[in-house]
Amino acid sequence: MDEKDLIRKAKKGDTLALSTLLQQNYSFLVRYLMKVTLHPQNAEDLTQETMLKCIEKIQLYNGESKFSSWLITIATNLFIDQQRRKKREKNWQKQQQALRKMKWNAANRNEEWTDVLDVLAQINEDIRMPIVLKHYYGYSYEEIGKMMGIAEGTVKSRVSNGLKRVRKELAELEGE
Amino acid sequence: MKENDSRNSNSLLDDEDELTVKQIINGLEKLDQWNPVSTPDLQLFQQNVELEKNRIRKKQWKDLLTFISVAVFVLSVVIAIVYHEPIFYLYFQLVGIILLPLAFNKTRKKVRNEDLQQSK
Repeated sequence: MDEKDLIRKAKKGDTLALSTLLQQNYSFLVRYLMKVTLHPQNAEDLTQETMLKCIEKIQLYNGESKFSSWLITIATNLFIDQQRRKKREKNWQKQQQALRKMKWNAANRNEEWTDVLDVLAQINEDIRMPIVLKHYYGYSYEEIGKMMGIAEGTVKSRVSNGLKRVRKELAELEGE
Repeated sequence: MKENDSRNSNSLLDDEDELTVKQIINGLEKLDQWNPVSTPDLQLFQQNVELEKNRIRKKQWKDLLTFISVAVFVLSVVIAIVYHEPIFYLYFQLVGIILLPLAFNKTRKKVRNEDLQQSK
């Protein structure tokens, strides 16, 4: 059964179809959230929240974008809301803990840590998200604008300034 | 994923940006390698979907009951004022007083059953 059939059935209330859709998109969603949050535990929690929201709002999915893009839109907005609620200082501490854990995982696998992840973790998620969506997932500026609820021009400037900042901080790290 | 589109969009970037984007993509790909994701069974998704649907259904009923209660209250006040018949207001309140505990009792019973199932 293809995705369109599953969506049609899920909208009619078919539990199996909706469950299959969620299962098919689960790992994609966790991986996306891992890249924007840089916090594996938080990524898993947000994935659960996104799935619940999807169950609640499936009737509102209009098929204009791909189902995975719709899930990304929900996940992105949940992450933005979560960041607004939490205190910045606490966030930073948790982010550092998560990074240390990931560095430990990388070291256990005898693999070298990459500085770019440190730099990405330092920049604000409002800038990190459009960079990941644009240059890793290949979404257009317009699509990212719709996902994040901001103007296309704002996305362009965030991506462009974000890349400059990443480059600058990488150069500083390499110079140390 | 749209990695191919990503590669195409990168052609519009200058060399420095392109290098930075490459570093970002490599870093993010490593992140996937270091944190493998295991997808749970379909059964678990079905259970979660059923639970969430039940929760939504209950919430909708609760919202509907609240809406009807408020509407009946407002209506009874309006009728009492417009027709100068305070007895209508009292009738509506009386019906409310009888129906509300029934509605709440039903919810409480359901919670008790769930608690029992969990304790088993």
